[in-house]
Amino acid sequence: MIKIVEVSKQFKEGVTAKRVQALQGLSLEIGQGEVFGFLGPNGAGKSTTIKILINLIFPDSGSASIMGIDAGDKTVRRSVGYLPENPYFYDYLTAEELLWFGGRASGLAKGVIRQRTELLLGKLNLLEARKRPLRTYSKGMVQRAGLALALIHDPQVVILDEPMSGLDPIGRKMVGDIILELKGEGKTVFFSSHILSDVERFCDRVGIIVGGRLRLVDRVDNLLAEGATLEDVFLAEVAKAGLKEVF
Amino acid sequence: MIQLWSVAAITFKEGLRNRAMYGISILALLMMVANLLISSMIMQEVGKVAVDMALSSASFAGLLLVLFVGINLLAKDLDRKTIYMVLSRPISRSQYIVGKFLGIALLIIVSMALLSLFAAASIYLVKLNTPGYFPRFSWSLVGLSLAFNTLALILLAALSFLFASFTSTSFISLMLTIVAYLIGNSINDVKALVEAPQGAGIAPSPVIVKVVQIAYYMFPNLSFFDIKTQVAHGIAPSGSYVFWTVSYGLVYTSLAVAIACAVFSKREFP
Repeated sequence: MIKIVEVSKQFKEGVTAKRVQALQGLSLEIGQGEVFGFLGPNGAGKSTTIKILINLIFPDSGSASIMGIDAGDKTVRRSVGYLPENPYFYDYLTAEELLWFGGRASGLAKGVIRQRTELLLGKLNLLEARKRPLRTYSKGMVQRAGLALALIHDPQVVILDEPMSGLDPIGRKMVGDIILELKGEGKTVFFSSHILSDVERFCDRVGIIVGGRLRLVDRVDNLLAEGATLEDVFLAEVAKAGLKEVF
Repeated sequence: MIQLWSVAAITFKEGLRNRAMYGISILALLMMVANLLISSMIMQEVGKVAVDMALSSASFAGLLLVLFVGINLLAKDLDRKTIYMVLSRPISRSQYIVGKFLGIALLIIVSMALLSLFAAASIYLVKLNTPGYFPRFSWSLVGLSLAFNTLALILLAALSFLFASFTSTSFISLMLTIVAYLIGNSINDVKALVEAPQGAGIAPSPVIVKVVQIAYYMFPNLSFFDIKTQVAHGIAPSGSYVFWTVSYGLVYTSLAVAIACAVFSKREFP
């Protein structure tokens, strides 16, 4: 479903255009129906990987594809739902209009958009606020509206960058329920998170990335088999990579 | 096509609901009321002053619209990363730019139609009170001037897209657009001055003459679209002038949007 092969990416930073290696030879394969958690410290390369999959940035080398189609081909995004980290939407549009845009831009018929909008806003407890401008929404409401937008076209692959960020426990439960529901429907979910308990609960497999290199990919049940917690595994991988400051 | 129109539709809605739109409309209304007051205070050439003021008010309000609403509609997408939400759809970078531009062009056309109504109402009221001062007045010339002005504003918006395509913040886009507007409005006169400096008693260096000549061909000549003074005097431009000015506006606008598309298709959004 998602295939990343030997992807490397450098960014130029500051006035001196100092080169920073964001990703180094990253390869990863995620199968259909799998929920994959992508873990790593801040600046490890999680969002960079996700943005390459959405074609917001381009890899320097290597390739990324979704459902066998290159990530640079816009048609693949008919089947992909994406929630950015800290999403920001248009101030004066309502949630209903935002989803209308998402649906139309993905080629959905008007009737389907109405149906899906009602369903998703209901699930995410935004039905009452659907006619309010998004600038009046709290951070958690914006996050939930973003998730509804990511799912409006019923995508086969859902990519979520820190979906739990800014959510209260009720919001987290709502988002968690949706991830489990997507899993039940056989959808592929790829999400990055710092909340390890969520990753433990929802994911079949996890990948840990540190300093732009993928350090470990394994099944969650394998990792937890010997009584260790995901936090222990995560911190051990980070320490192995030489980032001692986490301790 | 649906993708393109869906981007245009949200851009138009977002622009129309922007609070700055209300401020600009109120300012335009006040300027038209001022036109009525000033016209009632002067003793001669009332018709020319009324027409010139009404057209200038509409033109100024339209400029504010492009600078403070239009530019933000694209540049804030980049500043605030709203562009992620659009580009994560099956929309190409070019469709995004063209859709966004169509939305802003539509916003400019609708707003200018409203401002034209204000302008026409103020001229009509002055004309009603002092019909003797409007001997060569023509409504079609007033309409032509407003249409030219609308085209110039659309061209300016296209130019702001070009600037936004390679700058990193909305502030820099705004500054560059203001500079382009100022140069575009004065370049004709400056070129005439440096190429025939004897009349003004100045001696510009050859470098300055060359710089002005380069600027003349690089920046849009917005003075072509400004026929307010002729309209106030009831002088109609020739058919060929109208044809070439409209063609110039459309070609320049299309080129600016096409270059913005090309730059955007290579741009990354980290």
